[in-house]
Amino acid sequence: MKRSLAGLALCLYVAVSCTLAHFFPQSVLAFLLVEAGLFLLYYVPAPRRLKISLGALLLLVLFPVLGWGNGYYLEVAIQIGIFVALALGLNIVVGFVGLLNLGFVAFYAIGAYLWAIFGSPQANAFIGGNFFPLSPNWFFVFLVFSIVVGALTGVLLGLPVMRLRGDYLAIVTLGFAEVVRALVNNLDKPINLTNGPRGISPITKPPLFFRPLLEFFGADVSDAKLYPLYFYFLILFLVGVIIWVTRQLENSRVGRAWKAIREDEIAAAAMGVPVVRMKLLAFAVGASFAAAVGVLFAAKQVFINPESFTFMESIGVLAMVILGGMGSIPGAVLGATGVTILNLQLLKGLSIWLNGLRQSGAILSIPLLGSYPLAQLPVQFEPAKYERMVFGLILIVMMIFRPQGVLPPGGAQRK
Amino acid sequence: MDLALEILPQVILDGIVLGFMYALIALGYTMVYGVLEFINFAHSEIFVLGSFVGVEVFLMLQSAGYLSAMHPALVLTLVIVSGMVISGLAAMALERIAYRPLLGGPRLVALISAIGASFFLQDGLRLFESLWRNTFYLNYPTLDFLERTVPLTENLVIPVKSMLVIVMALITLAGLHFFVNRTRLGMAIRAVAQDPDTASLMGVAVNRVIALTFFVGGALGGLAGVLFGIHYSLVNPYTGFIPGMKAFTAAVLGGIGNIPGAMVGGMMLGLLEAFAASYLSILTDGAFGAEYKDVVAFLVLILILIFRPKGLLGETVRESKA
Amino acid sequence: MALLELRSVSKRFGGLQALANVSLELEQGTIASLIGPNGAGKTTLFNTLTGLYRPDQGEIRFQERSLVGLKPEKITAAGISRTFQNIRLFAHMTVLDNVLVGMHTRLRTSLPAIFLSSPHFKRQEQEARCRALELIELAGLKGRENEWAHRLSYGEQRRLEIARALAAAPEILLLDEPTAGMNSREAQSLMALFRELIGQHVKAILLIEHNMRVVMGISHRVHVLDYGEKIAEGCPDEVRRNPRVIEAYLGQGTWMENAQS
Repeated sequence: MKRSLAGLALCLYVAVSCTLAHFFPQSVLAFLLVEAGLFLLYYVPAPRRLKISLGALLLLVLFPVLGWGNGYYLEVAIQIGIFVALALGLNIVVGFVGLLNLGFVAFYAIGAYLWAIFGSPQANAFIGGNFFPLSPNWFFVFLVFSIVVGALTGVLLGLPVMRLRGDYLAIVTLGFAEVVRALVNNLDKPINLTNGPRGISPITKPPLFFRPLLEFFGADVSDAKLYPLYFYFLILFLVGVIIWVTRQLENSRVGRAWKAIREDEIAAAAMGVPVVRMKLLAFAVGASFAAAVGVLFAAKQVFINPESFTFMESIGVLAMVILGGMGSIPGAVLGATGVTILNLQLLKGLSIWLNGLRQSGAILSIPLLGSYPLAQLPVQFEPAKYERMVFGLILIVMMIFRPQGVLPPGGAQRK
Repeated sequence: MDLALEILPQVILDGIVLGFMYALIALGYTMVYGVLEFINFAHSEIFVLGSFVGVEVFLMLQSAGYLSAMHPALVLTLVIVSGMVISGLAAMALERIAYRPLLGGPRLVALISAIGASFFLQDGLRLFESLWRNTFYLNYPTLDFLERTVPLTENLVIPVKSMLVIVMALITLAGLHFFVNRTRLGMAIRAVAQDPDTASLMGVAVNRVIALTFFVGGALGGLAGVLFGIHYSLVNPYTGFIPGMKAFTAAVLGGIGNIPGAMVGGMMLGLLEAFAASYLSILTDGAFGAEYKDVVAFLVLILILIFRPKGLLGETVRESKA
Repeated sequence: MALLELRSVSKRFGGLQALANVSLELEQGTIASLIGPNGAGKTTLFNTLTGLYRPDQGEIRFQERSLVGLKPEKITAAGISRTFQNIRLFAHMTVLDNVLVGMHTRLRTSLPAIFLSSPHFKRQEQEARCRALELIELAGLKGRENEWAHRLSYGEQRRLEIARALAAAPEILLLDEPTAGMNSREAQSLMALFRELIGQHVKAILLIEHNMRVVMGISHRVHVLDYGEKIAEGCPDEVRRNPRVIEAYLGQGTWMENAQS
């Protein structure tokens, strides 16, 4: 009885939050409510079939419909999807195996630049003839190819750091990512591989192979409307695959071996776990996720440059994994969602609100301290730019007060 | 190759100046590592804080009109001392707030907190300066005296700024050597670095010694920050990361936890970087130029940690319990 | 031919000769004990045997091959499994998962099979779960399989470690002080478990023990180490009366009382 009641409540919640979001397209709160719906679906005890149907409805139908009317929603959802994928990849290395990879963004960059170079005229700079950009169909080939490249790079990074202990491993991975970034930033001579700090554009987008079908149904088929939806479904699919692969691995001898290595490497080896091979596998899998998402990112952005792949991005993804809970898949999803929304919407909203205050000419009077004309608020104070502070605070606070994260693995164990 | 030889003395001089600055920062990393076996990731921000304190003191003196009236030595003393003290105190606060609650647990937890502290401080400095001065890119005002140069030979000109760095560094290093090896407090630090449990049994207040170590390390970082600011003039909250990483490399190169090692490592890295900056393009025929000098430092870091993590002078290995 | 043979194994750490010319044979179907004062080198011998350390000299032969130089995971795959003196469980994993990790070498599935959730993979996981639950019951931990390992009591953790070691389906089980910290009732029940294991699960057991009642009560053979050297070997009664052994333990009073009970 209780479960069906809960199920009914969930249906109502989804209906109400979506309606609100539809009628208040500017409201951050409405958007958050809709997204919170997904988490409620995961945790509230209700009939399983109902939850799955509701979830599918929300993700596959309701959200796209909302997004059709309000492109910004889709943009945020895609961003979230990208970071969810990255957080899931890092979660394998940091959460399951316990290896602190501070340079995760390097794999992301490699995937992105892989497609950027060959999916744009850039490659013509070092390969004669005029073969590039490759036709849009190659996007899917490169998506698969990036998985392989990512895995190889993961192994390459993993090999030398295998025997390092925790903090040294962290610093070496950091160094690796910085070397990659410096290379990307400077490989515009002697041969122009990456076009240096100027970045690469325009990058080819994936083909709209379903366009004829839509035209048949008389739908509005302009690129501007179609592509955001297209990328939304692409990232949704990618995230789905990543979650599936991660769960399968987690519930196999591989996942158990990974966690065993995290808990006690020597005991794990004594129990027959091939430690080096398992660590390399973790690096490879995590890196391949990041590289695949990188390809998608490059195609969506149409323009990339080294500034998207800094140490701060690596720490951002780390903050997401830690906030959500190391070693927990729902945790990684929550962390990525939370931090992305924090940065994209809350901080931005704060910025806009402060700007409004500044322009309103209002005066703030603080008792005993005098008054302060808000127009004088320094222009420099732009909350949207303070991502580092947010990340840093998250890391410190979580480590001190709740190192296991908001949704730790095996959450039901709190007896 | 004549050009190469001609610029050699200048390159060496640049390397030495850079080396001293890296050595000063590296000491902060190595001393903390010595007593806690912990990498104080936020030390690079303590270093930048020193630069900012220095420039603020300068600017305050300037706006109060005293700058031109006071003797340069007095100005410099004020700037340097305030930079050192505030950095030292900040380092102590950092330890108390962000590290002490965590250092009993898994090592990585504290490291993550340190990274968080580093990021927080970067934007914290930005926030402060944005609200205070409406900009977070600040320039050190020039002192005429510092702008002069002294020609040593026809190829070699040494700016007074550089002399300041060398002199201050030498004084400080000598002072540190005396402090660590000839005073009771210094001995306490060495004892805790070797074996904190026994030291505590012998009556050493380990927590206070740790706080003191952070203060000293932070002060050295702050000094390096002021000198850095005077030398390069422009400071912003994000300029700590790269020199911090390089100084950490230097500390590891010399042997993390080993004080003379930090000095040796710093000097070596400074010279390496100066050589890379000047000679890389010559060596590679223009293919790879001075922009890769940072990469050189990172490569050194990676190679050292993989192949000889003990460093050149060896890690001071803590006595482990049988 | 003995199941396991150590011949003149030596190991040195800097200035300390931890093992000096130790030779030992373990026969199939037997339980043997390794005893000696603290610091005699017993755990070092285990570590060398299982590949954590490489012997400076000597030979270790098991199943017609040499184990010297093999990595720990290879030695476990070959059929030797162990427990640890200071319990080394996977603290933040469930009891079931701890045991399942022990089965790592026995579960051969390829990555594609895992990704695609092939029927073979699913069946293997099912069977592994069943086997693990059997071992958990054998170790006396029935019903606790979903608890996290660090929540178990000390004695339960020791038994979990044994279950985990058994999961690798070893031929030889090495137990490092399995009854440490247990009262006599718990120790007795462990002894019964060992006897049961010899019959059905493993071919031989080598114990490091300080509890002389256990040693005398269960061993077919006892080997004595002191300062890295083997000073005596024989059946329990012989060893108990050996003057060199008595001398090595002189001053460790309880030995005499225990031995007489």
